[in-house]
Amino acid sequence: MKNNPVSRRQFAIIAGTVGAGRIALGQAATLTAEKVIDRLKAELGGDWPAAGPDGFKAGDPAIPVAGIATTAMATVEVLKRAARDGANLVLTYEPTFFGRADGPARTGVSTRGRGGPVGVAPNDPVYQAKQEFLARNGLVVFRLRDHWQARKQNDMVTGLAESLGWTKYRVKPDDVLYDIPAMSAEGAVALVRSKLNLRGGLRAVGDRKAYIRRVMLHPGAMTNATMWQRYTDADLIVAGEVREWENTHFAADLHTAGEKPGLVTIGRVASEDPGMRVCASWLKTVVKEVPVRWISAGDPYWRAV
Amino acid sequence: MTGREVVELIKQKLGIPWNENSYRDTFKIGNPDSQVKGIATTVMVTFDMLKRANEAGLNMVISHEDTFWNDRDDTTDLTTIPLYKLKTGYVLKNDMIIWRIHDHMHAMRPDFTVVGSLRSVGIKGGDDAVMRPRVYTIPETTFGKFASQVKRLTGSRAFRCVGDPNARVSRILLGPGYATPRMTTEADVVIGGEQQEADGGFDDVEYVLDAVSLGMAKGLIMLGHVVSEQPGMEDLAKWMRSFIKDVRIEFVPAEEPFWT
Repeated sequence: MKNNPVSRRQFAIIAGTVGAGRIALGQAATLTAEKVIDRLKAELGGDWPAAGPDGFKAGDPAIPVAGIATTAMATVEVLKRAARDGANLVLTYEPTFFGRADGPARTGVSTRGRGGPVGVAPNDPVYQAKQEFLARNGLVVFRLRDHWQARKQNDMVTGLAESLGWTKYRVKPDDVLYDIPAMSAEGAVALVRSKLNLRGGLRAVGDRKAYIRRVMLHPGAMTNATMWQRYTDADLIVAGEVREWENTHFAADLHTAGEKPGLVTIGRVASEDPGMRVCASWLKTVVKEVPVRWISAGDPYWRAV
Repeated sequence: MTGREVVELIKQKLGIPWNENSYRDTFKIGNPDSQVKGIATTVMVTFDMLKRANEAGLNMVISHEDTFWNDRDDTTDLTTIPLYKLKTGYVLKNDMIIWRIHDHMHAMRPDFTVVGSLRSVGIKGGDDAVMRPRVYTIPETTFGKFASQVKRLTGSRAFRCVGDPNARVSRILLGPGYATPRMTTEADVVIGGEQQEADGGFDDVEYVLDAVSLGMAKGLIMLGHVVSEQPGMEDLAKWMRSFIKDVRIEFVPAEEPFWT
């Protein structure tokens, strides 16, 4: 934790403007978005390459920060709540502008994807309307993914466990396994759905009646290599997303073979939501001048009836 | 007829040149020179589907997707995994042959996966559809009602929707499997199989969420990979029957893997 001593110059400004009202005082504090990010970078460490996903995505980094919000995904709904709550700096784990390019395609950034060119068209109506909304509300958006995920505390995992009420069941301090009170796969799935307020995003593969004790938590996207290496460690894997021809297929085959584990995917964003709540708690220890809150991005999916 | 002869016939009838560089469309396991007693087409050669094909006396499986849980069917890291031994053992013991047809189906005219997928969700006029998505216009309805129709017609338990159920929609873009199209200004609804949910080439989920929040009528349906590409494998079986008369050819569906 670093202190943020008020400089002599800042003190003079504060002292000289106390009577002049909130706006002047705000300027006096001059905690800009850029300064918040500089502090955050110093705390998190590591390299911050310009071509990486982390960085400012919208707004003016020089504006004074009134409040900070963290979220798994800076959707318009999340941004509306941030604006309403007076949080004008938003830290998002996932992109703001619909893909890895996070806006119109950038040069020097690998953004190969299926279905044609990547990045949004500069005149795309949703992109433009979102930019206008951000500008109108004076919001600054910064993407914080790689550096948050890289922390050795692995709070994307601990956050998810905390939301599920499983913190105390962790098997080893640095791992992703939790020994929960024994229940059926069906029971575990119902618990996960209810604790995370999921709507249509949850899908399970495997035996509903299987006896579950050891659960592996894998927020975000889980590769097939990870599943092959670790599936024998758990009775149930709770992941954000997988590729269906890879891990879903593998889990279905395990079920046919009468093997454990089951696989539950809860949706990428829903799986990352709790980790960004932990990020807000952590940020409060780094930035004390302004309020910091977490805004849930929630489960984007619903199911047809 | 041997497995190799079946594949040679398919290559001749495709109507497009065979691409020898396709790492997908190859024999995956089994002896290509074994006699074929019957052929099963399927979207995904799951262990369950494999057993049902064998029990039905169909020892050649033609699958659109992978056998060994990765696109290249690379088995290097799998040899110590019991499930791999079990699945390969089952194939070899029963003298089965697995061959994949993926890239060439998507290059064919029409692309049966798209034709079948459109038909399965009740969209007419797609009998000549190809991989490149085009907009189909249906009588205007709400997105919620359309999604209910998709549920009824496909019988899918677990497909996912994003967007406003009350949005008035009529223009549909569909791409099955992993080829979920990107939403455009020309479409109200995108239907896909699966897609990386965020941080990909184009994130339809966030785009549709935000479009709706910003007052635009949009919807997204993610059918699931199996549900979206499965129907076209019945079309493939039908097409193969037109030139393979001596061997029984059946469509053996893979089960939708999910419960909710």
